[in-house]
Amino acid sequence: MGEIVHDLPLLLRGAEFTVVVCAISGVVGSLVGLVFGMARASTSRVARVVSAVYINFIRGVPPLVILFFAYFVIPLAVPGVTFTIGFTVVLGLSVYAGAYMAEIVRGSIEAVPTGQSEAAEALGMGYLAKLRYVVLPQAMKIAVPPGIGFLIALVKASSLASVIGAVDITKAARILSTGNNEPLKMMLMAAALYFVVSYPISLLGRWYERRLGVRSGVAAGEGWV
Amino acid sequence: MTIDWGSALQYLPVLLKALWVSIYVTVISFGIGAVLGVFVYLGKSSRFALLRTVSSAYIEVMRNTPLLVQLYLVYFGLGQAGINFNPLWSVVLGMTLNNSAYTAEIFRAGFDAVPVGLREAGAALGLRPHQTFRYVVFKPAVRNVLPSLTNQFIILFLFSSVGSVISLEELTYVLQQLNSKTLLTISLFTYGALLYYLTSAVIARGSRLAERLVFRW
Repeated sequence: MGEIVHDLPLLLRGAEFTVVVCAISGVVGSLVGLVFGMARASTSRVARVVSAVYINFIRGVPPLVILFFAYFVIPLAVPGVTFTIGFTVVLGLSVYAGAYMAEIVRGSIEAVPTGQSEAAEALGMGYLAKLRYVVLPQAMKIAVPPGIGFLIALVKASSLASVIGAVDITKAARILSTGNNEPLKMMLMAAALYFVVSYPISLLGRWYERRLGVRSGVAAGEGWV
Repeated sequence: MTIDWGSALQYLPVLLKALWVSIYVTVISFGIGAVLGVFVYLGKSSRFALLRTVSSAYIEVMRNTPLLVQLYLVYFGLGQAGINFNPLWSVVLGMTLNNSAYTAEIFRAGFDAVPVGLREAGAALGLRPHQTFRYVVFKPAVRNVLPSLTNQFIILFLFSSVGSVISLEELTYVLQQLNSKTLLTISLFTYGALLYYLTSAVIARGSRLAERLVFRW
């Protein structure tokens, strides 16, 4: 019992870092994804190409390597800037999340039947009005379940922040296990904490899926590791 | 500032060798994991409640905890329990177990998506359940499953980079080693990222081509 009193504060501070970082990069990533997903599905050739390069490249690179770019490369490429570790992690995870969210948004926009878009045009709506009042509201409904599925992936990917020295759940468990030589117990506690953070998000996704009767990335077996 | 793109190029053979480690670790884990995934899927759709519960719990736990923590559990956790694997086998074991949970869900989604009418039609024609499975359900289910499996393979390949953390000498590990030795940070990580990107692009293109060739039916 005494051990838990000693270990828990660090683990909980790690959990706080994990939750805060995931919340911020989840929101920023969703916004980035919205912009790039719309660009990817737009009629402008330049916008399509630029967003395709971003989406496809980031989706082809491991999140760990993206974090290394944020950690090692940016301070070298932009001399004079120093970021806190929290900011570095949020930056890397937002860039990572943005690309996957953009792909989800693009797929959702394309899943809206073309008749909807044509009907809006027939009513004399301009491109932006069509997007704002007809296409996006329907696309967002489709995008929410896989978006929630990706949030779970984001929580798990945030464990990679421990590799560049951020004290999240994983790092806290590592620090404690080198202190007490009980990696098995510490890592099981870390796993339990991740489960506590991530499982409610799965349940939220499933609830949404049931309520709206849409297929979800959570239940459809989209793998995110 | 100037970036020395040329000097890092001499390490390309080393990087390619490390990329090969990433690839074969992924192939082995994906292969065994997918076979294991079939059994987990069968367990989840079994008649026995206990088997269903155990399989579901396995899938949920695996899918809601990070691969990094799973690798730490295998490498350090099992080590504490007296079961020692070297980094290679720890990564293969961790990635295999991880992959089995994801592929089980992919199989479930793929087989569930086959319309019930097909099964009923098979039964109406007097086919036995295993015949219905083999001659009626199997092909459309495989077609449902393959794109997701490719996706999963690419994601597993990208996450094999996590093996670097328990010192498996794959691409990301070698990048870090070379980086601290040569300080050619920008060019090295750029080349490394390009290698990852090109490999996953080739896998994606290749599987789309294979699907078009195989699924004429």
